[in-house]
Amino acid sequence: MLEIRNITVRFGGVVALNDVSASFAQPVSGIIGPNGAGKTTLMNVLSGFVTSTGGSVTRDGQELLKLAPHRRAHWGLRRSFQKEEIADDLTVFENVLVQIDHGRSPASQKTDEVSRMLALVGMADRADKPGARLNSFERRLTDVAKCLVGQPRVVMFDEPAGGLSIDETRQLGALIRQIHAETGAQVLVIDHDVDLIREVCAETLVLDFGKRIAFGPTDAVLNDASVKAAYLGTEEV
Amino acid sequence: MKRLLHVTPSGWTGFAFAAFCILILPEISGRYWLSVFTSAGCFALAIAGVAFMYARLGMVSLTQVGLMGVGGWVALRLNYAFGWPFEVNMVLAALATMVCGWVLALPALRMRGLYLALVTLMAAGGLEIIFATFQFPNGGTGFWGVKTGSADPFLRPWIATSPEAYLRYVIICAVLGFVFIELHRRLQPGRAWALIRRSEAAAMAAGVNVTLYKTWAFGIAGLLGGAAGALLAGSLGLLDDGTFRASESVMIFALAVVGGARYWQGAVVAAVLYKVLPALLNIWGVDADLAFVIFGVGLLHAVITAPDGIAGQLIDAVRGLTAKRRKEASDA
Ligand SMILES: Nc1ncnc2c1ncn2[C@@H]1O[C@H](COP(=O)(O)OP(=O)(O)OP(=O)(O)O)[C@@H](O)[C@H]1O
Ligand SMILES: [Mg+2]
Repeated sequence: MLEIRNITVRFGGVVALNDVSASFAQPVSGIIGPNGAGKTTLMNVLSGFVTSTGGSVTRDGQELLKLAPHRRAHWGLRRSFQKEEIADDLTVFENVLVQIDHGRSPASQKTDEVSRMLALVGMADRADKPGARLNSFERRLTDVAKCLVGQPRVVMFDEPAGGLSIDETRQLGALIRQIHAETGAQVLVIDHDVDLIREVCAETLVLDFGKRIAFGPTDAVLNDASVKAAYLGTEEV
Repeated sequence: MKRLLHVTPSGWTGFAFAAFCILILPEISGRYWLSVFTSAGCFALAIAGVAFMYARLGMVSLTQVGLMGVGGWVALRLNYAFGWPFEVNMVLAALATMVCGWVLALPALRMRGLYLALVTLMAAGGLEIIFATFQFPNGGTGFWGVKTGSADPFLRPWIATSPEAYLRYVIICAVLGFVFIELHRRLQPGRAWALIRRSEAAAMAAGVNVTLYKTWAFGIAGLLGGAAGALLAGSLGLLDDGTFRASESVMIFALAVVGGARYWQGAVVAAVLYKVLPALLNIWGVDADLAFVIFGVGLLHAVITAPDGIAGQLIDAVRGLTAKRRKEASDA
């Protein structure tokens, strides 16, 4: 269970997150909300790029907000960014290997694990391709493989389906649903694609103007009147 | 392991070029050119340090020649104080300069781009003032070790006392420096650097300790700069503060970009432009300031048409030629 309690973030006058709390208990949970609702900011708080005034984030008895960003990654936090971050001058393999480079396990074990996860996402045949020559879907898949290595505990995706075709989105959704079974990690997905959210997330948190306006089973949340109102004019639900 | 020690075509070219510089160049060069090439070798090593920081991390360091001065100072100081063998002095000088690189990294870690460049330039300016005030040790007494009159002898490596042998020695050190950087690039630090250059947030999310690896990079640049300074001291036997002005650091960085920061060839091109070209102009009786005009043209050229520098263009041209020849061969 990932326990988020009383997270508040201000950027100057903008209240990006206003006392947000949620206990994510499902293998895959969603976070939705209109543009500027504070979704990415919440993820940045979990990653440690943005500091919350007060509040806490705990999982397995570990207070995440106390750790430096790279220590959170060592602990088992993984994330992908709204704009995927694949290093152009590293190969697919190396891009994934970076994630477990700090670990003490022997090199052969690390390369085996990277190969296994690349096979899982379907990139094994392109392991030696340099990042600069990947298309956007290949970049996204490499990103996913990166989130799977090194015994992750919490994996967060920020709009993973952005810029993908319908087919690719479906493939990605299937992959995301496999993560918990494969690695035991708990998954958080931010996306504007409500179909994707409905398909992969058992529970969903809805943010609007930095406030939690709904949280619970995805179907119930998507039928909630206040959620529909928040989306009115911005997105159809 | 196979991947780690794999020698690329560019690597073989590099070793071939080094073999030429070691076996043939000393034989065909007179005294004047031996000294010019030796200096060029020292600067190639120092340039490799800034070029790597720029190419791998996108960090602009404008202190490299100042760091060379630090290395040179330490090497001279140790030489006159203890009379240790050259290698010991050089290694200690390189390590001391590495520590200076770390100190420089402290303020630099919080800054990026132009601000980072300015901080390093200020450090170079500070070093310039220190060198101008205290000069380089030449066998005098006291901590600063400076006396008037001619300098005491500087101990060269016992295997390389002649100018020819010393040129070979410098080339070998430079090759080791280049290999050192390349090994880093292929290992964990190289991967971390590549990700840091892409985005620091992505690097942190991947578990990379950004502070550690940036500091590490500064340390390597310092290490190479310090070794280069010690080698330069060995070449000339004494050092002059005029060599280590802040403007020279700026020049070296610009030339590293002109040459092509991503390739070893780029550092060689930069060192040739910096040391060999002015020597050539000098022999031809042309005003050496013409070199600055040529540098300026080269920089404009690099900024406008060649983001990977002259080395990048040369490599592209060679690739184009071999591809064409292969195509002709397959057509025939
Ligand atoms: N670093 C920052 N500095 C200042 N304001 C910020 C910063 N990051 C986010 N904001 C503001 O905080 C609010 C929430 O932004 P956030 O990026 O979290 O939204 P989001 O829900 O991810 O939106 P989108 O769907 O467009 O990605 C916005 O008003 C945004 O302008
Ligand atoms: Mg966002």
